[in-house]
Amino acid sequence: MVALADLTLVEAAQAVHDGDASSRDLLNACWERMDAVNPTLNATIWVDRLGAERAARAADASRDTNEWCGPLHGVPLAHKDMYYQEGKRCTCGSRLRKDFVPDITSTAIERLAAAGAYSFAGLNMAEFAQNPTGHNREFGDCHNPWNPPYITGGSSSGSGAAVAARFVYAALGSDTGGSIRLPASACGVTGLKPTQTRVSRYGAMPLSFSFDNVGPLARTARDCARVMSLIAGRDPKDPTSSHLPVPDYEGALDGDLRGMRIGIPTNYFFDDADPAVSASIELAAEVLRARGATVTRLTLPVMDAVTGYGGIVSRVEAATIHAEWMRHRAQDYAPHLSGRMYAGYAIPGPYYVESLSRRGPVLRAFAGEVFAQVDVLATPTIRSALPTLAETDIDNGPPGTEARFMALSANTRPFNYLGLPAISIPCGFDANGLPIGLQLAGRPFAEARLLRLADAYQRDTDWHALLPPLLEATGEAAGIMLP
Amino acid sequence: MDQFLAETELTIARWHGVAAPNEPARRMAADLVNTIAAFEALRGTLAFEDEPSSFEAALYDMRETP
Repeated sequence: MVALADLTLVEAAQAVHDGDASSRDLLNACWERMDAVNPTLNATIWVDRLGAERAARAADASRDTNEWCGPLHGVPLAHKDMYYQEGKRCTCGSRLRKDFVPDITSTAIERLAAAGAYSFAGLNMAEFAQNPTGHNREFGDCHNPWNPPYITGGSSSGSGAAVAARFVYAALGSDTGGSIRLPASACGVTGLKPTQTRVSRYGAMPLSFSFDNVGPLARTARDCARVMSLIAGRDPKDPTSSHLPVPDYEGALDGDLRGMRIGIPTNYFFDDADPAVSASIELAAEVLRARGATVTRLTLPVMDAVTGYGGIVSRVEAATIHAEWMRHRAQDYAPHLSGRMYAGYAIPGPYYVESLSRRGPVLRAFAGEVFAQVDVLATPTIRSALPTLAETDIDNGPPGTEARFMALSANTRPFNYLGLPAISIPCGFDANGLPIGLQLAGRPFAEARLLRLADAYQRDTDWHALLPPLLEATGEAAGIMLP
Repeated sequence: MDQFLAETELTIARWHGVAAPNEPARRMAADLVNTIAAFEALRGTLAFEDEPSSFEAALYDMRETP
């Protein structure tokens, strides 16, 4: 017997489809779990119980008459509180948008709704999606389900915590410098940052229009594949979205890794890495090798350009769109946030344009050399052992806290400048019992390959299926037998 | 360093009308010397024809093909 809240997204959808559970059953199971653990985690900013009950009833009514919306029919979800839904409050994690009610709905939300899903909460997040830890001064810090004094990773902190605590089957996050992959790594769930342009950003709070990405956090690679198959693809409302057809992501999950070439970088990504983190990546590579992949070492080119240019773009773009509030309401930002944006105003325009102008040539140089040798890069998502919230409290911490804070995203930021897809999957625990993430990155539009690799890994390991100790005391009664 | 920070604060105030909101802002503005150093190391790589839209073309050209 598996508790309904512990099902994967795909299993939950199947349970509704097969009549083993109603949408209302799933919703109740999520709420029961949420009510038990969320006072400790603080993973939500708001909860819409009335609206969700209405949506669950409607889903069950249409199921009873065999009117199927799609592959997520009747599945309750919740998302980072930066996805606009017409008429619903959307805080963006900030005092400045505490009462903001958008008049549009994001394309990603619309596509999930068209597939039958509905949303019951706005999940906690870093203020304006701008920190890698999960601190939030306005709505309270989000806590790690594996050990609450530790960071969840950010900025999609509530998405990572809620999925890990099994009260949300899957959640949208956003990733501008690692904000999907960092909480996926820290909370022990699976998170995919798609290729730049793969998923429409219409109706998602902007942070850096050159680097912003919409993507899923979920319990398995298969769950992420399900969400990606729904949200990816051209959207006329986001002119930057790609025209390329969307592959069958779930159909690609065949477990076959024969011929797959995996590369472990010898430069940059393991610099000063925690030994337990490095060892976990090596062990993960062995698992993939046993499935037929080859594993080689390689030196990555142009990393100085990737990190040098990459540090400019999002700072300038964020500073630009926040300028009016920075002039008149700077005190309403957390100090680290207004501080970071402040420096962005001093970066000269030619630096910014050069950073963007070099992005294409740098991508060609990187991808041309790397992907001639391997198909996928394997790195830690976070190099260090996971720190506590106190150790990374940049607004109140001692000198040196800033460096620790920024180092968290050192391994994720390069793929935002390069625009490459990257997925983080759980692959072990550090010395303090906090999850370690394996980051896999591929060519542009190689999401299907990354998901196949991640799914194959999850067939042979159970890191993704382990439950945080916090859940042991919850003991929900509702459950179903799985085949 | 102090002079660099003072000049930076003046420039931001003049060009953007934004004042340093707190000490972290000043620390991060002072840290721009590292940004300058990173850019100095990259001088000479920008080609005359480089432009931002080349990124989308590179994404397409370097893409995964079935």
